[in-house]
Amino acid sequence: MSDRVNIRHIKEQCFAMMLRASLFICVSILIFLLGSIFIKGIGAISLEFIFTPSMEFGKSGGVFYQILGSLLMTLVAGLLVLPLAVGTALFQYGLNTRNGIGYLLEQSLYALNAIPSITYGIFGLIFFVNILNTGISWFVGSVILAIMMLPTTTLSTYQAMLAIPKIYHENAAALGLNKGQVIRRVTLPQSFHGIVTGLLIGLARAIGETAPIMFIATAFSGVSVPQSLVEPVSTLPTHILELAQQSTDPQALQNAWGASLILVLLVSALSLLALFARTRLAPRRPS
Amino acid sequence: MSPAKLSLVSSAQSGHPDMEPRSVELEGFSAYYGKNCIISDVSLDLPKKGVTCLVGPSGTGKSTILRWLNRINEDVENASFSGSIKVLGQDVISGYPDVTELRRRVGMVFQQPCVFPCSIYDNMLMGLRHKKLSKLEARTVVEQGLKSASLWDEVSNRLEERADTLSLGQQQRLCLARALVLNPDMLLLDEPTASIDPVSSRAIEDLVISLGRKISVIMVTHNIGQAKRISDHVVFVCDGKVVEQGSRAHMFSTRCSAKTKTYITEEFCDC
Repeated sequence: MSDRVNIRHIKEQCFAMMLRASLFICVSILIFLLGSIFIKGIGAISLEFIFTPSMEFGKSGGVFYQILGSLLMTLVAGLLVLPLAVGTALFQYGLNTRNGIGYLLEQSLYALNAIPSITYGIFGLIFFVNILNTGISWFVGSVILAIMMLPTTTLSTYQAMLAIPKIYHENAAALGLNKGQVIRRVTLPQSFHGIVTGLLIGLARAIGETAPIMFIATAFSGVSVPQSLVEPVSTLPTHILELAQQSTDPQALQNAWGASLILVLLVSALSLLALFARTRLAPRRPS
Repeated sequence: MSPAKLSLVSSAQSGHPDMEPRSVELEGFSAYYGKNCIISDVSLDLPKKGVTCLVGPSGTGKSTILRWLNRINEDVENASFSGSIKVLGQDVISGYPDVTELRRRVGMVFQQPCVFPCSIYDNMLMGLRHKKLSKLEARTVVEQGLKSASLWDEVSNRLEERADTLSLGQQQRLCLARALVLNPDMLLLDEPTASIDPVSSRAIEDLVISLGRKISVIMVTHNIGQAKRISDHVVFVCDGKVVEQGSRAHMFSTRCSAKTKTYITEEFCDC
């Protein structure tokens, strides 16, 4: 009897150790990556680096237009995806996933989320640049990023809607509110935190993307603030790629680490905002 | 075989019982969730005024009856019914092509207090958004509604505070007040005092009694003492059927059936 208890105790200890080891490995990788970028990149960071345009293919100067390009393209992508994601989530919520079309829609969103980002880039190149003849355009880049963000934002919104207790809808309906009013007064305010969280996570992913925008929206040098929708921009990820190709030059390498640090800080800020939105904006509900 | 129609509209109340307007008329009413029959072939008339308590063990279909009277169950997956339901003299389906009109005339308060995550003031006006009320009108409506639920004195200086900062008892009275500002012709209460303290519960009981003098209030309750205190009429529902109904005096006297007596005295039913 006591042998059996001992064996169970040892098994439990082993399992707990495995869990701690998994946690340790994950956190170590994260600390190593972020630490390396911080240590190697901090030397390049200065106000001048942030607010000066790049020169000599990035070997000198800063990353001002790259920051501007990244922010412009991702924020416009966010604006484009927001109504589409909320609309799709509402449609899916109304359908109910047990319904055949609702289930198909949910699975399609998961599938869309799993598509490699380069595929989006190729699609954008063929459809927008070749067929629609848009040329290299930051706006087309935003559209592609919006399509990429759609599953994350939609699913987060949908999950937040599913978490709304049924009693809210019943109470609203019992007061004589029609379906549109219930959506406006109950469903959307109650899932607001999910919409914001999904959007911010989507933005955090989109701002770091290189492959989908490389062929359709960005130029590696010689760009400034776009004057129209069909002009290219330079972004932080494509700039880092460009600098990495010149890594034999110590100055280019230093600037690449600096640009990487700025990108990591932007992504971290968005992720922290998403965490904040999820915890602070979540509505208090009856227990 | 369909049971004889049970009527709570006594001839003592009216010289012409057939002409007496009724709040609810059920005829051969059966309710289902999927293939499960919850209520079977119930026929019932309820008077236009007074408090009617539906009593009976849990899971016997009392709330289901209530939830079809304002078609809230329509939004529940797999819920359906057969037979005829008339509410305030009109068929609940064909008489109310716009279900929101039915729900404005037939208010409902649920077991669990549920306030919306906005101010007390906004909660009160939630059901009146379709009306273009001026600020003064809105303020008056809110004040009257809160007074009618005996809540005004407690919240008059904190109308802009979030409604979920109120105690559960106050939240439930707010739910009642929110339903009352629509001036309903009938009020459905699904165990409204089940999750609140005895003091708040008594405040709601007093309110229900006063409402019963003006409109029809139909209340589901498990609390026999409460039914005895507030009801004008009692309907005993068990196993999806109406076992017995009658005035309070009848149902709580020795004249009621053995089954009702057992349930009222021992809160047990062997249906």
